[in-house]
Amino acid sequence: MTNALPLYRRALGDSWRSLIGWSLGVVGAIFLYVPLFPSIGGSPDVQKLLESMPPELIKALGYDSLSSGAGYVHSTFYGLIGFVLVVIAATTWSTAAIAGDEETGSLELTLAHGVTRVQIVLERAAAIVTRLLWLTVLSVLLVLALNDSAGLAIEPGNLLGEGAAFLGLAMVSAGFGLAVGAITGRRTYASAAAAGVAVAGYALNAVGNQSSDLEWLHALSPYAWAYGTLPLANGADWAGLALLYGVSAALIAVAALALSRRDVTG
Amino acid sequence: MTPAVETHALTKRFGRRTALDGIDLAIEVGTVYGVLGPNGAGKTTAMRLLLDIIRPTSGSSSVLGVDPRTGGAALRRRIGFLPGELRLEGRVTGRAFLAHYASISGPVASGAIDTLARRLDLDLSRQVRKLSKGNKQKLGIVQAFMHTPDLLVLDEPTSGLDPLVQQEFLALTREARDNGQTVFLSSHVLSEIQQVADTVAILRSGRVVTVSDVDSLRASAVRRVSVAFADATAQAVHDVLSRDPHLAELTITAGEQLTVAGTVEGDIDPFIKAIAGFRVTHLTVEEPDLEESVLGLYAKEAGDD
Repeated sequence: MTNALPLYRRALGDSWRSLIGWSLGVVGAIFLYVPLFPSIGGSPDVQKLLESMPPELIKALGYDSLSSGAGYVHSTFYGLIGFVLVVIAATTWSTAAIAGDEETGSLELTLAHGVTRVQIVLERAAAIVTRLLWLTVLSVLLVLALNDSAGLAIEPGNLLGEGAAFLGLAMVSAGFGLAVGAITGRRTYASAAAAGVAVAGYALNAVGNQSSDLEWLHALSPYAWAYGTLPLANGADWAGLALLYGVSAALIAVAALALSRRDVTG
Repeated sequence: MTPAVETHALTKRFGRRTALDGIDLAIEVGTVYGVLGPNGAGKTTAMRLLLDIIRPTSGSSSVLGVDPRTGGAALRRRIGFLPGELRLEGRVTGRAFLAHYASISGPVASGAIDTLARRLDLDLSRQVRKLSKGNKQKLGIVQAFMHTPDLLVLDEPTSGLDPLVQQEFLALTREARDNGQTVFLSSHVLSEIQQVADTVAILRSGRVVTVSDVDSLRASAVRRVSVAFADATAQAVHDVLSRDPHLAELTITAGEQLTVAGTVEGDIDPFIKAIAGFRVTHLTVEEPDLEESVLGLYAKEAGDD
């Protein structure tokens, strides 16, 4: 049936250029960092350099396990560059989905057609999940492909757990972008919420790493829910994943409800 | 027959600002209903309420027999809507743009899109964002008409269109009416409403100032007249014409001939009878200008405030 999920298909069709851009970003980041593991992670010079750095900084960056392949890939890609990339992508897409569309006036036109508001939110959220899932799968496949040549020794099962956390973390940002966009209709607020939650989560995690007195901050940090147990080294953290996906789903529900209840003014 | 659109005391406030102040409209099926008014009069607000894009503060409305609040997607599929401010930015072609809306509001008869595009002289192969304002407007019109909806709600449909395309649009509107469709359109340009509407509502500051059919609006309209007389004195002409209560702005210029100019509001007959007593060498009666009569209505209403 070619008429199924028209808004979902339109959202994907409208964004394939940007998806190619983000995919190149992921490919570039992985090829830039991962193949260097043998010369960085295992290198005595780098170890010496890390030892000379303030331990607080090392903890904040999560660089305390750079010597293992899993620790290295996590610290460089999933916990840092990849995280930044996917959060920006999630912010852009989730902001455009409702608030951006409303500000340009095209949401008004779509609403005048044979669709419901809940359907709009759900289909567009599904399109965002699809794109983020694609970036995640791409990264997992690339790391798998480089696993042997770069001597990473990463368990494929653990890589899936890390990927699931990575995707869930991006979804929390996207969820905030959608929900705040649906509540306020303002692009600025939606972007601030989506990017803000990622930055705040990262900061809370970094501060929480500093001492056991501050560890409770991890409970508030989506970043810590995703990576607190280092899933790339230790396997999927089901409780963390449940939190990430539960919060994301709740935010999408809030978005659907909020958009259904208010005036769309454009 | 149930009207296509009916509103009762429909009111919309945005914060403290009252955009629509208890309007009652009844739009009969198979008619063209024009709503006229300056910017900010509440035309767009009324249309958005009928499409459930915004929700009323109080009052009720029924569209094609259904409350728009509960009619949902099924009701909106039966409506074609052209928003007042159409900002289209996609990289998709016009054809893909229309195919998308056809997929959510269809079905669209095969060939309908091409026929409409040809009549409006619109190139569907170009990217939407690269179209001029007028061409975007055409795309919006095609989008509203393509699935032959029972009701067309068109907010300032001719803005940005050149005169030839405007005429084509008016023809489309008449054809839709003859086809049994109902058209609700807004404008601040009288001439197009005058050409196409059966009924006109005039909206000002969120209230309906008047509802009338175009013919009676024309009947109450102001005509400019000018007459030249031979063998008459200014005094005699003045005495006779000043008895006509419909005549205003009377100026009498004595020259080689006696020239009289003025405006006649409403019934023209007493004026014709009055000048018949003289020898008329020249007479012009301008077509009534609805613009002037409507501006008169605005002015009266403003005076009442």
